Amino acid sequence: MRKNIIYNIVLLWTILSGSALCAQTVKGVVSDSSGPLPQVNINVKGTAINTVSDFDGNFTINKVDSNAVLIFSYIGYLTKEIPVKGNSFINAILTSDSQKLDEVVVVGYTSQKKASITGAVSSVNMDDLSKTRVADVGQALQGQVAGVFVSANTGAPGDGIKIRIRGEGTLGNNDVLYVVDGVPTRDISFLNQSDVKSMSVLKDAAAGAIYGSRAAGGVVLITTKAGISGKSSFDVDYYSGIHYATNLPKMLNTDQYLMVKDQAWHNTAGNAASAISPYAADRNRTDLANTNWQDELFTTGISKNFQASASGGSEKMQYLISGGYFGQDGIVVENNDKYQRFNFRTNINANLSDRFKVGTNLQLSYAKQDKLSSSGDAPGIIRHALIRPPVLAVYKDINDPTYSASNPYTDLPFYTGPNDGWSKNYEYSSNPIAIVHFTDDKRNTFQTFGNLYGEYAFLSDKSLKFRSNLGVDIQFSHNKNFGENFGDANINDPSNPYYGMGRNNRPNSLNENRGEAMTFTFSNTLNYIKTINEKHTINLLVGSENITSKSSAIGGSRQSFDNTTDPFRYLDYGSTTNIYSSGSASNWSLLSFFASGTYGYANKYFVTSTMRADASSRFGANNKWGYFPSVSGGWVVSKENFMEKVDWISNLKLRASWGQNGNQEIPNNAYQTIVDVTSDPPGVKRYGNEDIKWETTTQTNFGVDLGILKNKLSFTADYFTKKTSDILLTVGLPAVAVGVIDRTFVNAGEVSNKGFEFGLNLQNNDHAFKYNVNANIATLTNRVNKLQTFVKNITDDATHTKTEVGQPISSYYGFQFDGIYQNASEVSSTLFANANGTQPGDIKFKDLNRDGQINADDRTFIGNPIPKVTYGFAFSSSYKNFDFSFLLQGVEGVDRYNDLKQILNYDSRPFNSTTAVLNSWNGEGTSNTTPRLTFNNNGGGNVSSVFVEDASYLRLKNLEIGYTFNTEIAGIKYLRLYASGQNLFTVTKYTGLDPESTSLIDKGTYPQSQSFILGIKVKL
Amino acid sequence: MKNLFKTSILLGLLSLASCQDELTQDPIGLTTLEQANTTPTLNTLEKSVSSSYQLLSNRLNILAEWDWGGGLVFQNDYIMQDIASDDMEKKWSSDGDQPWIDEINNFTFTSTNGGPNGLWKYDYEGIKRINAAIELLTKADIETVTGITTARKNQLLGEAYFLRSYYYFSLVTNFGDVPLILAPVKTYQEAFDVAVRADKGLVWDKIKSDLVLAKALLPNSKYSSPTEKWRVSKGAVIALQAKAALYTEKWAEVPALVDELAGLGFSLNANYFDSFSTSKEYTDNEVIFSYDHQSNATPRKGNGICAPLGWGFFAPSTDFLNSFEPNDPRKLYTVDAANQNVNKMLGSLDGANKGNDDAPTNKVYMRYADALLWKAEALNETGNYSGAIAIINQIRARARTTVTALGTIPPVGTLPDRVASTDKATIKAWLISERRAELGFENQRMLDLKRWGIAKAVLTAHGKSFQDKHMLYPIPQSEIDASAGTLTQNPGY
Repeated sequence: MRKNIIYNIVLLWTILSGSALCAQTVKGVVSDSSGPLPQVNINVKGTAINTVSDFDGNFTINKVDSNAVLIFSYIGYLTKEIPVKGNSFINAILTSDSQKLDEVVVVGYTSQKKASITGAVSSVNMDDLSKTRVADVGQALQGQVAGVFVSANTGAPGDGIKIRIRGEGTLGNNDVLYVVDGVPTRDISFLNQSDVKSMSVLKDAAAGAIYGSRAAGGVVLITTKAGISGKSSFDVDYYSGIHYATNLPKMLNTDQYLMVKDQAWHNTAGNAASAISPYAADRNRTDLANTNWQDELFTTGISKNFQASASGGSEKMQYLISGGYFGQDGIVVENNDKYQRFNFRTNINANLSDRFKVGTNLQLSYAKQDKLSSSGDAPGIIRHALIRPPVLAVYKDINDPTYSASNPYTDLPFYTGPNDGWSKNYEYSSNPIAIVHFTDDKRNTFQTFGNLYGEYAFLSDKSLKFRSNLGVDIQFSHNKNFGENFGDANINDPSNPYYGMGRNNRPNSLNENRGEAMTFTFSNTLNYIKTINEKHTINLLVGSENITSKSSAIGGSRQSFDNTTDPFRYLDYGSTTNIYSSGSASNWSLLSFFASGTYGYANKYFVTSTMRADASSRFGANNKWGYFPSVSGGWVVSKENFMEKVDWISNLKLRASWGQNGNQEIPNNAYQTIVDVTSDPPGVKRYGNEDIKWETTTQTNFGVDLGILKNKLSFTADYFTKKTSDILLTVGLPAVAVGVIDRTFVNAGEVSNKGFEFGLNLQNNDHAFKYNVNANIATLTNRVNKLQTFVKNITDDATHTKTEVGQPISSYYGFQFDGIYQNASEVSSTLFANANGTQPGDIKFKDLNRDGQINADDRTFIGNPIPKVTYGFAFSSSYKNFDFSFLLQGVEGVDRYNDLKQILNYDSRPFNSTTAVLNSWNGEGTSNTTPRLTFNNNGGGNVSSVFVEDASYLRLKNLEIGYTFNTEIAGIKYLRLYASGQNLFTVTKYTGLDPESTSLIDKGTYPQSQSFILGIKVKL
Repeated sequence: MKNLFKTSILLGLLSLASCQDELTQDPIGLTTLEQANTTPTLNTLEKSVSSSYQLLSNRLNILAEWDWGGGLVFQNDYIMQDIASDDMEKKWSSDGDQPWIDEINNFTFTSTNGGPNGLWKYDYEGIKRINAAIELLTKADIETVTGITTARKNQLLGEAYFLRSYYYFSLVTNFGDVPLILAPVKTYQEAFDVAVRADKGLVWDKIKSDLVLAKALLPNSKYSSPTEKWRVSKGAVIALQAKAALYTEKWAEVPALVDELAGLGFSLNANYFDSFSTSKEYTDNEVIFSYDHQSNATPRKGNGICAPLGWGFFAPSTDFLNSFEPNDPRKLYTVDAANQNVNKMLGSLDGANKGNDDAPTNKVYMRYADALLWKAEALNETGNYSGAIAIINQIRARARTTVTALGTIPPVGTLPDRVASTDKATIKAWLISERRAELGFENQRMLDLKRWGIAKAVLTAHGKSFQDKHMLYPIPQSEIDASAGTLTQNPGY
């Protein structure tokens, strides 16, 4: 009423004064790079005229002077001033300010103002993250946060990712703990990126300690989007892209192949120089193919992402519902490398009274993967596509007696029936196209994930809140794998029941299993947040948590299906002999109590302490409980009086923290000795260890946050030391006493990680060209400090790696390359004790103990599998309606064992090779890097540094150009079109297919694809 | 408001109380050691013994999936006793595949080589299973608890004592002093306590005393069971007693034991190959102990060594092929060099089973011809030269009267009888060459060479760098490491 009076008076005054001629109505839209912004405060500069943008970012201000300036301000965004200049429509694009100090960051079970945080917590810039358009939200973290290493296991759709926060803390499970809306989980592949509102990474022990027993691998807190009271909104986000394989090795063609193998044949003992090799003879054959197996295997892949959401609400209730689809058909031919995911999400928050709030956030997702053998050997399609000789065609000649329409693929080289066998000149390999064609391996997961909560505020100022949260994670999985019989028949005994069947999947079989897993997390917290006398800020939290997890599975299989077409790929239609069925279950539970307290004085001094006590079903009575304390402090130096004059420093904060986290990721009942009396053999399956206890990670962190020029430039540095003691590890007991059984879990030793992390953020929004740079780099040193006497070293992979005190975990171990023997006297002088058939042209290994022979004693550490440096550089900018951004990401100081190189270029069997073998040693002085071609051992069969390659890389992960329309098309409130490229280029010395793969031993991995994406974002 | 507060706290506490029980969970589908030891079943007893045979099989991947480097894909007899000797090569053509086998072949191996590792682990895995079986079978109340008959119990126990002595025989002859473990360990700490090497004399004593027990427990017939001919028989026990006496040079004991075998019905087959042919299994006269392989069994029971044969593994050395006397039919029955078929290992003469990882071919461990030659050796050592020569000629006669693999009759003059002699060394030399021809590719050669003290001379002449330390294989480094150093290494490694 009072406002109306004033309004009328002002109106009257303006009319009377005639200034109405220069006053106008201004309409507009406020948005950021990801869409409209509601609730933005818009103030006419120098007046009291204020308005707020609605849920669609729309605003209208009447009677504005045409020379006025509008001030747009919104929490978490840089304030922006735009002169009206007579425009009736203003399109305001705000840039988020990730460094804003009053930003609220979600921390364990509560939230804190960024300024009061004393641990190493990084909140993720969601704008930058959203540009990496991948299926898994976790993968989009790549390059975004210092000290967070992310890598895709393979490039095959749905194959999962690996995340390490601050290095490999243990030899066992290092996985990150995700907490999605208060519900802990180890896997977030069910989430759709556009549902994520914020992510914070808790890197140090102080920040993670509140999650105690499971936080040792670091914690990523994720909050999903919720509805906001105001006008309802409907958003659609769609993109589609095409994918290609890149960086493929150059292989020999048929002509080169036959030439190279001819040379190898002549360099093989027993073959006379004058003799004509079978390869030379075959060069005259007309029936040889010239197959480029990579061209045959790879094709263009397609990805599609669609997400629609509706949200809105009133003061009493807010809602958001969304549905999404992500689908990708990978870069391998046919449709057997597909991943599809459907998501549905409902978020409702209701204020039952001004003290009592309830809500739910429920997500349904259904993911299905068509799984190919995307890495490894037996039978990895990538590996076989590379090793298979080009002389073999993809399809058999139609006149070949073993040809059939349903199985037209070549298999064993020039196979001519069981009695004649196959040509020995061309090595046994599998036809990758046949494998792809006959693979039918479907993995489906149906998941319900979410929570229900109630929150009640006590006390007159509502400063004490009780919150009860029930998290559910229910998964149903269904895997179905039909192994179709294919390939050449190679049984020549007609009485054998499998006579005449192809050699793969003999007989055909169907394996099907269904599992269910249910995890309930029930947490209750009491949180007191209060500021007293504007000086003392207090945040106290006590709580309990109770996690129970139960899973079970049943499965069945049958063989010998008469009819193998799709409608008969069900268990009922298999033979009734050799029926298998299986069933199993496993349960665990965790009970926890925790407390934390933060005290701040005058916004200058902050101290936080937490304590968590966990009891786990996985430990025996002796060590059931683990206790995980932490303490941290911060000092905002810039708030001190003596800093007042240093006005270019807007923020300077020093942080220090210490804390302990735990790890309980061992099998259920690892402490018990278990016996299976029904198996074959019956007996002890594993000896238990009653004294096994929690693995503890103790971490100390020192950090500094610096903001310069009103935080336009901000800088964060951290130094951490992380020591994991009592690492949970299995040891093989002496076989002499126990035979060969499962390994026993022990607390085996200590591993340390230390490193520096630097983050830099620069933003400039002062001009029409606005930009934001977000760079980060982290170093890491991993070292095994000690191992118990009975685990002197750990050869987790028996032949390639070794874990020993003083070395990084799982370091590569083998012979050291020392050139190529150039002549016979060099061989005899080096290998004076036992040359073991070594010839000139063979690889020369370092004889470390100088005993004149090469044997296992000459092996040493030859490579480090843990990256020493990880970095990311994100740039985003806008100019008028255009926006442009890119992300560079890379790792340095990491090696990988390129086992593919071994089988391609160093094997003694006639597989295909890369063109690198064209430079092989062929007489004294011809090469000191590539040994002679031969079918004998030229040293290439040994595990050696020849195959350890620098797998450092720099990759342009994404580059995106967008255009936001500022016209109001009927019914459309916001419209942005963008084009994006992913994995556009990679700089690396690694000669394998993908330096990013996570395999310790790269046997040929489905590569990350390059892709081009077009997308649209619309708001109705 | 206060009520609500109290209610919610109460609810929270209640939920916690209910959870406490779940913090102790019994393993699903598995029992604890105490439960298993107090309530064994008949099925457990039978399986305890039958599973103890498995380590003698050539089934692939019994102990680990495709652990080639660790020597665990199949048991390493052929590598440690034949490839290491002058008889066998790794493959028909040399290459870089499985370099650890090359190391065994040319004596550059160290304690990390997969060969000794596999040998050791197969034997001790067998001993562990046997110890568990013996512990159960010797429980005072086992008959009442499980309902097993006394006769069956005795038979199983007899088999178990034999198998334990067989595994220890392999260990003591390859490694010398070895830990003598005779009961299952109860805790993981105990596993470290027992990993201490015992003097080989004690091991031999235990082998012999176990065999005495076994002999008394097994039925007095050629087969322990007419329906399960694969089981250890009294003949197997006696043969191993004779072999143990031979290896410990108790010459006087050997002939009588070998004679006992004849009494049980063992004799030489008319055709040399009948001991190996898949079609003659358990119908021949000669095989005393073998592992029964079967195709398409569930769980798998096939001979997997035929798969590496298909990949070109296990080839004769030129020296071995040249060592046969003219027209000796045993040469082609052992190996068909023209077609690269190791007939004796395939159990066929036409390449059948080659490449099949689930072949029916039995693995023969002891046969009567072998035992006869032990007797000949003992007779020679004790001065009964004519007796020794008679046995050698018996073996030669069977060989030359065998229809060849090509279906022909060996020409007259093939493998003529050895003439009378009283020169012990001459007869020993005949014996040595007879054993090589008769028992080629049967895992005897390297043990024989070591036993006769001629390994260094023969293998050096063959171009290998055999040193004195190689009389014993090294204790696997992984075991020394796993024992935290309580296991000691053999000298020289």
